[in-house]
Amino acid sequence: MNKVKTIYKKEFLDVLRDRRTLISMIVVPLLLIPLMTVGMSTIVGSQLKKTKAETHKIAIEGADNYPRLSEYIASTDGLEVVSVDDYKSAIADKSLGAAVVIPESAATAVEMGDSAVVKIYYDAAEIKSQFARNRITKSIAAFKDSVVSERLKVLGADVHILNPISVRTENVASEEKMSGYALAIFLPYIIIILTMVGAMYPAIDLTAGEKERGTLETILASPASRMEIAAGKFLTIFTASMITALISLISLTLTAKIGMANFEAGSSDIAFKIQPLSFIVLLLLMLPISCLFSATLMTISLFAKSYKEAQSYLTPAMMVVIIPSMISFVPGIELNFKLALVPIVNISLVAKEALMGNIQWGYIGLVFLSTAVLASLSVFIAKRQFDREEVLFRI
Amino acid sequence: MVKVESLLKIFRDKKRGEIIAVDNLSFECKSGMILGVLGLNGAGKTTTLRILATLLKPTSGTAFIDGINILEKPDRAKERIGFLSGDTGLYRRLTPRELVCYFGELYDIPKKESNKRLEKFAEQLDMKEFLDTKIDKLSTGQKQKVSIARTMLHNPKVLIMDEPTAGLDIIASENIVQLIYEAKSQNRAVIFSTHMMYEAQKVCDEIIIIHRGKLIRSGSIDKMRSETGMEDLDNIFIESIREVI
Repeated sequence: MNKVKTIYKKEFLDVLRDRRTLISMIVVPLLLIPLMTVGMSTIVGSQLKKTKAETHKIAIEGADNYPRLSEYIASTDGLEVVSVDDYKSAIADKSLGAAVVIPESAATAVEMGDSAVVKIYYDAAEIKSQFARNRITKSIAAFKDSVVSERLKVLGADVHILNPISVRTENVASEEKMSGYALAIFLPYIIIILTMVGAMYPAIDLTAGEKERGTLETILASPASRMEIAAGKFLTIFTASMITALISLISLTLTAKIGMANFEAGSSDIAFKIQPLSFIVLLLLMLPISCLFSATLMTISLFAKSYKEAQSYLTPAMMVVIIPSMISFVPGIELNFKLALVPIVNISLVAKEALMGNIQWGYIGLVFLSTAVLASLSVFIAKRQFDREEVLFRI
Repeated sequence: MVKVESLLKIFRDKKRGEIIAVDNLSFECKSGMILGVLGLNGAGKTTTLRILATLLKPTSGTAFIDGINILEKPDRAKERIGFLSGDTGLYRRLTPRELVCYFGELYDIPKKESNKRLEKFAEQLDMKEFLDTKIDKLSTGQKQKVSIARTMLHNPKVLIMDEPTAGLDIIASENIVQLIYEAKSQNRAVIFSTHMMYEAQKVCDEIIIIHRGKLIRSGSIDKMRSETGMEDLDNIFIESIREVI
């Protein structure tokens, strides 16, 4: 046990002096989360705000066919009517937001109590064009309501005759759930990936890197047993991974706490909050997954002869983790007994629930246990690899 | 001090099948003796020395280091061995002081004693000025001195060196030769492999020549001279190989 401690202390000192490991362990989680939550939301939010405030150029073809409607549209805030030769090309080259086409008989049809079909041309792939279309649609809807109201007046009927039932929705979700919802979608993914990245560089450096530099042979010739060497290295990788997970969580909590992370989605702002219990649950869940990553990455890296070779082995491994950890992005998938046994998917889903304030201890226990069993198996395999001469020396 | 008995090492390769790297090899190296291991590339020198250093396990046969069976008590055997090869590296992000103290801890040497021994090595090998400089920043010669300190720190009774001078300049090589002489004078057993015949001729008391894992000639250089009628070790080596091809 003393030798394991000695090896661990030395390996950790070595890891702390490695710039690549420090970047992946501390700098990336410390900067990536604020950048993603604050940076991205600020950019997206300000862009949306700017687009919303912008006046959109539109064209009206057949304005003379229904002057009252075209004047109504032209008087709408945020819309500017311009004349163009070819409105379709103008929309395509983004010089025009949208175009309204009023048919010849529109005014007559409406006055006769009939209906007219007004067409709106826009580019669905362009956000500005979508905004222009929305404003036109709203403007026409308001105009339509005024026409309906006039017609009902003539008939001596009340407007409510068309609206026998009104619908009003009430949100029953707790503040905790609402605040955690936006986080819950992408945070499990980020933390899982960062926990893996935190283990990746130390795993490569302490195995393939040591082979390349000839230090593995040096330590193997020392009185430390293979078991002690493997344990010391594993604990170092595991610590680095857990530090990354912890820094990621702290970084996110602080980002949320100082109230910087606001997603401006439409008219509502969603404030990020992490409840203390959710924080503890997430940290708890990171223990077995970090253990699993550390042992697996150490085993894979040990097969490589060099740092570069190990990196090429770990790239596909990264993909194997990225895909299941993205499950939290998929709406409608809920944690159940079977999914609680699927590695990474289970962590992603249970973390999502915890962030929404839904602490399901039964599932948390099951996920912890199933991941811990897998992690123990990985540690066992990693230890076995340290006993294999063909792996250590690539004979 | 070192007794090798019928050592056999077979590697199993999916493409190449079974490869006999060491074939029923037996030899002995007594205290205060320098034993040279000579052979062509792939003769089995590195595998033999790695087995003696307990890095590899033999398929059959065994070896005794100071009476300890390497198969039964490898960790105790390792405590008596100082292993150095052209491939053994140093932790570049540590300083020589940190590295030596680290290995001191692994050999259960108290920190105070490790530091005392390090000071002695620093004096002998002129290391004082770079004891607290990161190894990454040291020259090849300086690194070699650190390796020697690391190898000798625990006063090993047996020194196993696999091509220790490979890739070194003449000054760094001389440090190794001095280390070998000093180890002999301290009654340690030294086993070392080399490609350089003049080096072996200069320092070795006895030599073994191996080819394809088999021992093909052994004994003192004088004995080999009288057996072959040749003066130079170069010629003796080539002749010995030709005889078995």
